[in-house]
This record gives sequence, C-alpha cells and structure tokens, in this order.
Amino acid sequence: MTSASAAGPRRSLYWSVQARRNRGIRGLAVVVAGFLALYAALFPGLLTLAGFAKFSQTWFPLALTGMAQAMLMLAGGISLSMGATVSLGAVVAASVMAGSLGVAGGIAAVVATGLLVGAATGFIAVRLRLPAIIVTLAGSFIVGGAALLVLPRPGGSVPPWLSDLLAGSTPTAFALLVVVMLLWKLYAATPLGLSLYAAGENPVGAHRSGVPVEAALICAYAISGTLAALAGLFVAAQTGSGDPVIGQAFTLNSIAAAVLGGVGFLGGQGTMRGAVMGSLLLTAMINVMFFLGLPPVAQYIAQGLIIVGAVALPQVAERLRRPRKRRST
Amino acid sequence: MTVRDRHRAMLPGRPAAGLAVLSRNRPFLTLLIVAAVWLVASATSRGFGSWGHLRYLVELAAVIGIVGAGQTLVMIGGGIDLSVGAILTVTAVGLPLLSSGADPSGIVAILGILGLASLIGAVNGAGVVYLRVHPMIMTLATATFLQGALILLAGGSAVTVHNPAVYLLGNARPLGVPAGVVLWAVVALATVAVLRWSRFGARVYALGANPLATALSGVNVPATSVALYAASGLAAGLAGILALGMNGQGYVGIGDPYVLTSIAAVVLGGTSILGGLGGYAGTVPGAVLLVTISGLITVVNASPGWRSILFGSLILVLLLVSGREVPRR
Amino acid sequence: MAPPILEAREVWKGFFGNPVLKGVSIALEPGRVHALLGENGAGKSTLINILSGALSPDAGSLQLDGRAVSLTPAAARRHGIAVVQQELSLTTHLSIAENIGLGAYPLRFGLVDYRALARSADELCRSVGLDEDVARPVGELSLGRRQLVEIAKALFRKPRVLILDEPTSSLSAHETRTLIGLVTALKRAGTAVLYISHRLAEVTEICDHVTVLKDGACTADRPLAGVDAAGLVRLMVGRDPGDLFPRWDACPAAQPAVSVRGFSAGRTMEVDLDIHPGEVLGVGGLVGQGQEDLLLGLYGAIPASAASAVFAGRPGLPGGVTRANARGVAYIPADRKREGVHLTHSIADNLLLPGLARGAGWRRRARGAEARLAATLAGRLSVKGDLDRPVQALSGGNQQKVALARWMPLDPGILLLNDPTRGVDIETKREIYAMLRGFAAEGRAILLASSDTPELVHLCDRVAVMRDGRIVAILERRDISEERIVALAMAADGVGRAA
Repeated sequence: MTSASAAGPRRSLYWSVQARRNRGIRGLAVVVAGFLALYAALFPGLLTLAGFAKFSQTWFPLALTGMAQAMLMLAGGISLSMGATVSLGAVVAASVMAGSLGVAGGIAAVVATGLLVGAATGFIAVRLRLPAIIVTLAGSFIVGGAALLVLPRPGGSVPPWLSDLLAGSTPTAFALLVVVMLLWKLYAATPLGLSLYAAGENPVGAHRSGVPVEAALICAYAISGTLAALAGLFVAAQTGSGDPVIGQAFTLNSIAAAVLGGVGFLGGQGTMRGAVMGSLLLTAMINVMFFLGLPPVAQYIAQGLIIVGAVALPQVAERLRRPRKRRST
Repeated sequence: MTVRDRHRAMLPGRPAAGLAVLSRNRPFLTLLIVAAVWLVASATSRGFGSWGHLRYLVELAAVIGIVGAGQTLVMIGGGIDLSVGAILTVTAVGLPLLSSGADPSGIVAILGILGLASLIGAVNGAGVVYLRVHPMIMTLATATFLQGALILLAGGSAVTVHNPAVYLLGNARPLGVPAGVVLWAVVALATVAVLRWSRFGARVYALGANPLATALSGVNVPATSVALYAASGLAAGLAGILALGMNGQGYVGIGDPYVLTSIAAVVLGGTSILGGLGGYAGTVPGAVLLVTISGLITVVNASPGWRSILFGSLILVLLLVSGREVPRR
Repeated sequence: MAPPILEAREVWKGFFGNPVLKGVSIALEPGRVHALLGENGAGKSTLINILSGALSPDAGSLQLDGRAVSLTPAAARRHGIAVVQQELSLTTHLSIAENIGLGAYPLRFGLVDYRALARSADELCRSVGLDEDVARPVGELSLGRRQLVEIAKALFRKPRVLILDEPTSSLSAHETRTLIGLVTALKRAGTAVLYISHRLAEVTEICDHVTVLKDGACTADRPLAGVDAAGLVRLMVGRDPGDLFPRWDACPAAQPAVSVRGFSAGRTMEVDLDIHPGEVLGVGGLVGQGQEDLLLGLYGAIPASAASAVFAGRPGLPGGVTRANARGVAYIPADRKREGVHLTHSIADNLLLPGLARGAGWRRRARGAEARLAATLAGRLSVKGDLDRPVQALSGGNQQKVALARWMPLDPGILLLNDPTRGVDIETKREIYAMLRGFAAEGRAILLASSDTPELVHLCDRVAVMRDGRIVAILERRDISEERIVALAMAADGVGRAA
C-alpha cells in the first residue's frame, strides 16, 4: 500500500487514486460475483451470447437510473422523480420516432427532454434553495403529467430495427453501458466533474476554494435527467411502444442500486462504478429469484429485506468490530 | 424575514403576540392562502363555495391531514416516512379480511388492524435506530415489502368492507359534520397536545434538531424514535380506515397518493424537512390547501396530464412563496 | 516601507442588528507577519471573511494595491489572497492532491492534468512537512494532517496575501516548528501574512506587527518589538492575566462518589479511579489518549466494563445515559455545537431539555413552572436577554454556560466535564472556573478533562495523566506543575502533541 510513496518511482496519481476508490466496493464486488455465479449455475444460458444479451438488457436501464441517482446523491440531493423522467423519456421516444423526425429526431428529443428536466430541477433545487427531495417530489407530478400529455395511454412506436438493435440478441446494451461509463470517467476527470464531490460534500468549503458550486451541481442534475430519459428510450425500445407510467419502479430501484453501491446520502460519498455494481447486484438478485420460481410478488418482499439488510449489515459489522466510531473532531 | 424571526415563529409553544408576529407565522400564512383561494374560487366558480362542496373538501383533507399528523411527528423528529401509503393500503385491504361474525360491531377488527399498523411503524423506527438505516431507505424498503405482502394477501382485486363501525366512520354526519372530520379534529388535538404539552413532544423536537446532543442529555433516543414511527404507522392506519369507510372498498394502491401529499402538507405547513422545527398547526391548513388545489384543478376540467402538472407546479410555487429552507450545511 | 497589498479602512459589519465590527482598519504589508489577536467574539472571523471576500462590509472600504475594490471569494483568489480557516474547506472523499488543486486544477486538453497536479502536490506537501502519499483520501487523515493539507492548498495558488486562522491549533510540536519555518520563508519571499493564534508564544516569535480587536473595535495596532506574552494578554483583556483562577481551599470528603477498578471503555483501558465529593479531579495528557472515552464510558454513553464500580453509593456502572442521569451524573461535552446544545432551539428549550428527558413521555409539561425555572437558571449564570432567542445567537462562552446550566435542576452529584473552556473567551473562562470551584465547595464530585494545562494546574485538587488509554500517574495538589504533567504525558514518545 505504501509502495506508491513520494520517494520512489510511482504509479501515476490518477490510477493510484482510482485504486484507492475501489477499496470501498471490494466487498460488494465479491457479493456480485457470488450472485452472478449462482445465476450462471442455475441458468447456464447466461454464458451464451444471446443469454448475456438478454441479461444485460434487464440490467441496462437500472444501471442508467442507478447512475443518474448516484449523481444526484453525490451532489447532496436525491430524486423522487426518477421514475417519471424514465416514463417521459419513453413516451417522447415512442411518439417522436413514430412521427416524421425518425430515430435521430427521437434520440435528440429524448436527450433534450432529459437535459431540460434535469437542469430545471437542478436550478430550482440549487439556485432557489429548496430541498431536492421536495423539488423532485413536486417534479414527479409535473414530469409524470407531461408524460401523460405526450401519450395519455400507451402508444407510439419504436422502429423494429431499433428494438432489434438495442433489445435483440446482440449485447448492444452492454456495449452502450461501457460507453456511458467511459463518458462518465471522462467527465469526472474534468475540473467541473471532479468538483462535484467537493460541491456535494462541503459546498461552503468548495465555494471558498473557488469551485463554481452551483454550476457543478446543476450540471449533475442535467446529466442525471439525461441518463434517466435515455433509460426511458431504452425501455420504449424494449417494449416497442411508449407507456406513460412504465418508469414508476425506477424511483425506488435506482435509489436501492445507488445505496447498495455504497453511495451515501450526505453528498460526495461513493463512486459511480459502485452504483453500477449495485444495479448489477439488484438485477442478478431479481433474475435469480425469478429463476427459482418465486412469484414476482415475492420479489418485492425479498427486495425490501435485501435492501435493508445490505444497508444495515456494514453498520452492524462496524459496531461489532469497534464499540464506537471514533469522532475526528 | 430573518433567521431569528423564522425560528421564533416556528418553535413550539410560543404564544403569538400581536399582528407582527402573526404575519410571520407559517401556519397562519398557510391558513390565509387557503382562505384567499376559497374566496376567489367561490366568486369565480359556481358551486365551489357551497356548504356541501366545502364540506366535501374538508372531508377529503381529513385523510391527508391524519396521515400528515404522523408525518409531521416523524419529520419534526428528523426523519421521513415513505411507507405511510403502504401502511394505509394494508389497513384498507386488511380490515375487510379481518372482519368476522364474532365481532358484530367491528371494533375488535379495527383495533387489531390499528395494532398491526403501529407495529409496522415500530419496525420502521427500530430499523432506523438500531440498524442505522437511513429513514428514507428503511421506510421505502418497508413499503416495497408491504406491497408484495399485500398482493399475496389480497390477490390484487378490490375487497368490499362489511364492518359497521367503518361504514359509520365513512358516512355518518353527526350535526352535519362528517364523522371523518370529527376524527381528524380528535387526531389534530391529540397531535398538537403531544407536541406542545408532553415531555415526549419536547424530546421529539430535540431529537430532530440534534440527535447526538439529545442522547447525551439523557433522552432515551431508541424508545423515542420507535414511538415516533409507531405513531406515524397508527396515523396512517386510522387514515386507511377512514379512506376505506369513504370508499366502501379497499384495493391495492389506495394509499399511494398519500405519501407525497402528506409530505407536501407538512412542508407547506412550515415544518422543516431537516427536523427540529415546525408543528401540526401548519399541517392542517396545508392539507386543506392541497385538496383545494386538486378541487380547483378538477373544476378547470383539464386532462389528467395537465391536472398533474398544475398540481406539482402549484406545490412548487407555494413552497417558493412561503419560504425556503435555511441550509444547515 | 512597502505599501500595503491589502488594506481595510474603517470597516463596519453587523449581524441581526448587532454590530460585530465597528470601524476596524488593518493594513497587510508585503514581507510582514501581522498578528490579529482578540478573544472569541471580538470580530476576528468576521474581519477575515471580509478580507477574503466571503462577506462584504456594511460600510468602509477595502483597498487592494491602493485601489478600492469590492471582493468576492473568486476575485480575492484571483488577486492572490488565500485563507486557511478553522472550519476546513476539504473534501474527505477526494485525495490529498485533488484537494490541494481544488478550484484551480492544472489542465491538459480540458482534463485535470494529474501528472502536473501530483508534482506540485508532492512539492507542497514536503514544504509543509506532510509526508503522505498524495493519493490518500483526506478522510483517512488526522485533524492535524488535514490542517497541513489545508495550508498546502492555500499555498498552491502562490498567494501574495496569506491569512492563517489558528493554523497550529491541532498540530503537534514538531509540525508547528515546520509551519513556523515555512511562514518565515514566505515572509522573506515578500508574502503578506495575517496570523491568528491563541498561542502567544508563537505570536511573539514570528510576528512583526499586531492588531488587537476587542468587542469589534481596534484597541491596538502597533509593532510587536518589545512586547512579551503577558503584554499581549494585557492588550487583549485590558488587565493583568493573573486573576484568572479563583482562590480555593481543598475540602474533599473521605468517601468517594465514584470508585472504579479495572475500568475500560473505548480507548480507555484498565483504569482505577476514585472521585471524591468536593474535589476537582483533572484529567490531562496529550490530545486523544482516551480522556474522552473515559468520560463517555463513566457516563454510560459508550459501552464500558469494570472489575468493580461504585457510583453515588450504589454498586455497578450506570450502563446508559438515562440511568447515569438518574444516579446524579451529568456530562458536559467538548464539541458543544455537535454534542452539547441544540443550536436552532431557544435558550429556554435548551435549559429545560435534561429535565424533560426524564419521566414518562406522556406527562404534561407545566409551562409556567418551566418558564420560571429557565429564568432562574439564566439568572444564576448571568445569561442575559430574551430566552426565546436560538442558542446559535449566543457567543461560544454563553453557549457553554447554557450547556452547563441545564444540568443544575437535576442537582447532579457527579459532573463530568470534557474540555469545558475550549474556544471560550477569557471572561467566561473566569466565570466557569469560579463556578466549578463553587460546585466542588457544595460537595459535588467533578472530573475535568482538559487540554489546557494551566487549567489543570490552578483548578484541580488532583490530576490524572493519561497516555495510550491508561492513567500513568495521579498527581496530588502539591506535586502538580505544568512541567510534571507535560513530562508524564510525553514520556512514551518524547515528541508528541503539545498539551
């Protein structure tokens, strides 16, 4: 661990920092690997290309929304309008693509919608100083209402070739996820992206250090909105049409994914790869339960228990190891 | 309004002295807004101001108000309860299943289901305080768990209630006042009394403002937290019985709207989402304001999408007008 | 003499209608270390915030290189003004290097240039005497090391004006020496330094000029040559420092109020301790040797065990805060904002809480009696003014008095105090000292953990010195001296934290 000391030839700072960030999610990685192994044992089809493609398709939207939620939690906020934004993305995609603008126009419209929704939420929460939970609560009505305006009932359509490309038997979804992760890495290496951690954890200190705190936070909201809307596009491609309430479950599941991935509520704590891994864990769990023949309903029950367990376990273990957390002040 | 005035207006048990203080009093301001909205709406819309319609609005507000009583307690104590909707549904769906011939008045079934609701709340509290799970996660997980359990129990169809006591609660009008409103008045008096006049109330305020200092002052924090969430469960259970009585039927999803509306009512009423400040006196007009807004939107005769957008936007605007959170960090 | 780089002229500033600065002027010249002294609440922080652009003055002007300016934090940084505040501006989840560069990252193709960042971070860490891998997250560092990161961060921007607010408060003796050397080097290089510290020896050693604030006004603005530490105190309080501690006679009872054998809690291990009614038993030692855990363990706030224990005549440890309170044990924490008071609640509510914490929750509150009780308590501790004000409107000293006073209705026989005068101004310190001896004279047993050695010497009947979680010696009154305490505290490693 001390091999990278200042004196000797050293690993580059960037990779050294990244390696240290990985430490917090090692335990999670082991659990994820365990579940994936279990799933692969139950369902060897996972190891075929088509099986992997199907799996990554159930994972992809949850991974995107988990990342979207993690961005807001890093910014010290939270979104209760995640599901509504996914729905809005889905209906915008299905209705625009069915019209004369085609697929390109549809994607552009979805991105624009997500950016707008996210930036507006961020502006209200950050500039007007309303708590994020309240803004996104009201936002869930507004965004959900907008989805109903676009398509009052399920409709529109996504061209079959696009559905085939995204949700067919090729692991396009996985490739896209890798691209999104790489884009995030790139963003996190820009001054604005890196400053998100500081702006979320210690906004006063970050402001004093010259970080454009409000810009960093509003950008995070905008990116988060875009990711959620894109998740909606994917869901529309999966189902072939747009449904104005299809996203509902993503609000809770995205929070669960982020929390399972070690992202904290107080801002600046956690990593994006953790959130993605959290979403992977959640997906693998749901798949395993489904495969074991549990009724879909029992999944709710198991999910509730697992989320509490996953959050509580480290706390309890910590307390057993050390009688009291040292306070640093 | 300076920080100091704000605190003065929001602290418990501070008798208002003079108009100057009154004008800074959040509950009073919310009440003024309600009165203004009612006057304008009655003048412009035929039928809005009729006794029957106003009575109907207050009756609708009673459900939100009763859920909001528990939510107010929890939020003053520094938490949040996102499981109130699920608990409400559990009582509304579970009560018809409990009713039997051996219990002609239906009182035993009611007591039983209220006990269950309180127990669920207590489990929330125990998770928050002993497992140290964030209240939002704990109560969301409980809600997910209950959602699954409910579908298993009720099978997804609506159940009709044959409980005479519940029927009375939903339909009786002693002296022209709906029984639900009477129940709300009782709950309101009890909540205000607990917050202002009991030692428990003082501990709740202290807990919300600074949990660590509260524990070091000798307050039994675990007991207080568990009682707090149990009270919220009980309130949600009462609201569930009332909703059941008013509807005649319980179904999965009956409680869903009340999560967001109860939080909105509490925050509109001036209780801090950060805990430690506020009171139930504001939640009451907050609940009436919310149903009034929904009522007005119905009168406008807009599509469901526009209704939802209007509702969310109005909540946001009201929050912006009636004051922002002073960020603690 | 060189003209000042940054100058405040006749600056006024008030909060909530209370004036905090009343026409203060200060001039920071290149190549000069300028000391800013004053008690807590004298207006030092406000002045720093104005000089760094975080606050704008109500009246008066700021001059930068002789031209009037209005500063924002961003503009101040652009002009080369850097501040190291007591409230650290660090992000615990970022690495040391990422913190040092925060807000001014070196760029390459629009991305953070980690190689350049690593180079300057390494260099700066060496210059402030911090030998850590710069990839380490700041959250893993001790408070003292974080302070060094904060200083390195300020230097990263190559400031012309450097403002250091209590930079040594959590540094070890060795780290302090390095810092003093660094400040001297900066001064030679022509930086204007504003140095705020309560350690007067440091001030007389490195500062050239002093400005003293008292109640928001400037009471001295003069060269430091020929002024010693006692002279500085005279400048600050306007009187001789000698009568800070009360005179008292020992009156301990024979039967101990608290008696523990083999007591362990947290970092505290195998401690034997007797506290007698009527005595003040001091607990000294370097920072973080288990003093806090000793107090919290006795209070029942953290799990504790003992071979044998007697509290207030009853055997066994209390095993919980509520039960400790019931046996007449009260605790006054060191970090009063986090652990002691409810900042957003009124003074009255704070004073009443320990009383309301007891008994059944449904019991009715007697508002009239409560108001009378609060008024009596406030009167006894001379906390003046409206008791409906939130506690955060009070000065640190008065907040501490509230944290003490609220226990009085319970008439505690055993008081556990954790550094009760940390960050408290001299006048309130005097009052608290008199109060503590008064409590002892009333027959209460007092355990006083303190990082302020003079306090242990002049206020305590006996002093227990802790090291590595154990009590290494208990000094009787006739043996207590600063030298003995410090020597016992440091015996293990020789170079430790200054107590």
